[in-house]
Amino acid sequence: MSIEIRNISKRFGNFVALDNLSLDIPTGELVALLGPSGCGKTTLLRIIAGMESPDGGNVLFGGEEATHVHARERQVGFVFQHYALFRHMSVFENVAFGLRVRPRKARPSEAEIRERVMNLLKLVQLDWLANRYPSQLSGGQRQRIALARALAVEPKVLLLDEPFGALDTKVRKELRRWLRRLHDEMHISSVFVTHDQEEALEVADRVVVMNRGRIEQIGSPDEVYSSPASPFVYQFLGNVNVFHNRMHGGWAEVEREGDAPGAGSIAFVRPHDIDLDAAPISGGMKAVVSHVHRIGPLVRVELEHEAETIEVELTRERAANLELSAGRTVWFKPRQAKVFAVGAAPAPAPKQPFLF
Amino acid sequence: MFPAAAKRDGVLPGFRLGLGYTLTYLTLLVLIPLAGMILFTGQMSWGDFWATASSERALASYRVTFGASLGAAAINALFGLIVAWVLVRYPFPGKRFVDALVDLPFALPTAVAGITLATLYAENGWIGQHLAKLGIQVAFTPLGIVVALIFVTLPFVVRTLQPVIEDIEAEVEEAAATLGATRWQTFTRVLLPGIFPAWLTGFTLAFSRAIGEFGSVIFIAGNMPLISEITPLLIISKLEQYDILGATALAVVMLVISFVMLLVINLLQWWAASRHAKSRDGDAPADAADALAIAGGRP
Amino acid sequence: MTTRRATAEPRWVRLLLTAVALGFLFLFLVLPLIAVFWEAFAQGAQVYWDALQEGEARSAMLLTLMIAALVLPFNIAFGVAAAWAIAKFEFRGKSLLTTLIDLPFAVSPVVAGLIFIILFGAQGYLGPWLAAHDIKIIFALPGMILATLFVTFPFVARELIPLMQAQGRDEEEAAVSLGASGWQMFWRVTLPNIKWGLMYGVILANARAMGEFGAVSVVSGHIRGETNTLPLHVEILYNEYNQIGAFAAATVLAFLGLVTLVAKTIVEWRMRKETEMLTAELPPEKTELPPSVATERP
Repeated sequence: MSIEIRNISKRFGNFVALDNLSLDIPTGELVALLGPSGCGKTTLLRIIAGMESPDGGNVLFGGEEATHVHARERQVGFVFQHYALFRHMSVFENVAFGLRVRPRKARPSEAEIRERVMNLLKLVQLDWLANRYPSQLSGGQRQRIALARALAVEPKVLLLDEPFGALDTKVRKELRRWLRRLHDEMHISSVFVTHDQEEALEVADRVVVMNRGRIEQIGSPDEVYSSPASPFVYQFLGNVNVFHNRMHGGWAEVEREGDAPGAGSIAFVRPHDIDLDAAPISGGMKAVVSHVHRIGPLVRVELEHEAETIEVELTRERAANLELSAGRTVWFKPRQAKVFAVGAAPAPAPKQPFLF
Repeated sequence: MFPAAAKRDGVLPGFRLGLGYTLTYLTLLVLIPLAGMILFTGQMSWGDFWATASSERALASYRVTFGASLGAAAINALFGLIVAWVLVRYPFPGKRFVDALVDLPFALPTAVAGITLATLYAENGWIGQHLAKLGIQVAFTPLGIVVALIFVTLPFVVRTLQPVIEDIEAEVEEAAATLGATRWQTFTRVLLPGIFPAWLTGFTLAFSRAIGEFGSVIFIAGNMPLISEITPLLIISKLEQYDILGATALAVVMLVISFVMLLVINLLQWWAASRHAKSRDGDAPADAADALAIAGGRP
Repeated sequence: MTTRRATAEPRWVRLLLTAVALGFLFLFLVLPLIAVFWEAFAQGAQVYWDALQEGEARSAMLLTLMIAALVLPFNIAFGVAAAWAIAKFEFRGKSLLTTLIDLPFAVSPVVAGLIFIILFGAQGYLGPWLAAHDIKIIFALPGMILATLFVTFPFVARELIPLMQAQGRDEEEAAVSLGASGWQMFWRVTLPNIKWGLMYGVILANARAMGEFGAVSVVSGHIRGETNTLPLHVEILYNEYNQIGAFAAATVLAFLGLVTLVAKTIVEWRMRKETEMLTAELPPEKTELPPSVATERP
């Protein structure tokens, strides 16, 4: 079922959580809401679920008005960051809960409930834990039970709030791929909230990047990473070097392309989009190596260039060839950059720096 | 009983001093006097003891004491749940004042409560005169005992439930709502089972306090033997007749009941803390094994 | 805010429950409290004042204050010692000890008085010996102090044990490792940390010590002007149908009760403040966009 969000606004006291936001989620897609904490992504998810009311705007489910439908009638499955399992119920009873609380005439028979719950537990590969209690499960197991519980009511939409946020890195990765597979089997619209760009880029069909209650960009993982629509998206997705109005050499023209006279421009360059050489290169700039960090397969080099620090990422091989060490003079040249005019870019309000 | 040569942890001083003082004080003030009382019954034969403890008047006093205590604890359990819920969940003007007031029965001497309730519920009292029109007499009947005990034990259920209701995760309720549960279903199936152990603990605390209560009850009870005489009062009237052995026999019966209640309360608290956490090694399994389980399907 | 959370009850349910709760509390708490003062002033302030000035009432007040003043230091010392041993060290039988400390709460006040009659009374174990040496414990001040000590026994320890357990040993160990002596550690590190919890226990113990009726009643002998505490005085006057006198004395106790409630609320508030300060999360580190991006639009 498709979800349409039209001009939704929400404030908490003086804090604007969502600012006139609109978004379409087509049927069957797995969409990630990505952004720093406080950007409104969880509020948006809770409004879709009916756990929070918007101050203004509408939510449509499959084209039908649903803004004022109570959470229990929306037929959404919601998975919480901290699982929210019922601790006095066994795993089986947790999953069966949504079926047992149905009005008598809509309630399946005991045998049907049993069959459906066991099928779901098989789906999440935990049918052997049916009689345990939540406190006896690991975090990853709990989250899969929470998912099975949400799926038991056959939701039209699945909503997940930082579903893997409380788990450690290794389990996160496994669960993430597993969620993708599950989504492909179930064919329901799913929306998940995350502040982890890697998670969003790896799992989602589409990524919605949010900041300060607004949408910065909507696109496929590849689009948002390789052609960010705003400085914020550029900075939020991956490391980046920022150059403003102080470009040299082959870059001299860039700053003069500013739209309005007097308006500056800034250029963003990813660390892996910079060439590095021990000898002068044409159009290159001179810099001094200040630190060399070896991180797994990569080598991250920090350069000092006119009192600014520039990060460059190289392969181990390339770094070895260059014989990099602190204090060496090198030449660097950005391979590609994205330039934003300062005035044209949707600059964030100056007073509140966003919080990670 | 407590090995003085216990494991000394780390560098902190004062273990011997602290434990030594504690044990001495406890032994002198509590253990020896209580043991002395139990041994004192050795001066009477088992038959005499039994005859005193199970005399008609004693049995009637147990009935009154237990019946009234049960009634008061039950009423407080019901209203205490509502009060605790309202104090935690709903905003209303003067809430902090009301919250502080709940402890009044702990702060107000029982004798004051006793004479006040007796005056309020007497036939010409503020409340008593209205009840009299309905043909209900409270003061100087077993019903009066229940009223006094409701007052004295009122804070127990409220105060044991409040922190537990505060700790309910909002997410659990939201989960129930998204799964289609009505508010009533959420309450009865999700919230109530969660707070049940604390509720029962509050009830038991109120009940055990009510059994021993004396000061507030005697003024309103009427103290008619066989009808509205509580066991503590019977002990005192035996004392006043210099029947110290008879008083001791009844006191030992009450003491045994107190021990049992204390045991029940401890068991309840242990149950509340440990139920549904019955994994064999005591801890939830680690996620590392879980990752393997996902990769391989099953462990 | 008019947000309709998915977990809110309908308005009429909220109003009904609030009304039931407040009605119940009004009937059982507020009304009796009003009635105490109402009855005491039933014949005007002058009669009330005269009743309080009466000699026996004054000596009862004095005795009540004296007993509380004598009992509290013992309870404080015991409470701190017990909490120190139980909260900061591991030893066998610890949970049994904790249960035994709670024991006086479970014992009926009448039984609490009786045990001292059996020990020190005329027919009791030590009665003949005490009589021979002309020492009076029962029907005298020592017996009343013993009974009060017994019923107020657990209060301070009960407050301090969980508090000190939660605080752990780190700070004391740090003090010792920095060279503090045992007393220096206690006065400079432990006591400042537990002062509000200690105060809380003392307030509760004091309220009970001043208001205790059953246990003291058994051992006092009700000798007017000598072994009558204020609660016992209330009883005597009430039984003599001296309604004004009884309620006048009761207002003093009720006033003490209200002071207790206020003091308790203040201490609770201070304790909450301190735990909030200790557990408050540090603000997240701020990461700013470069200044050029953050500048305002022209």
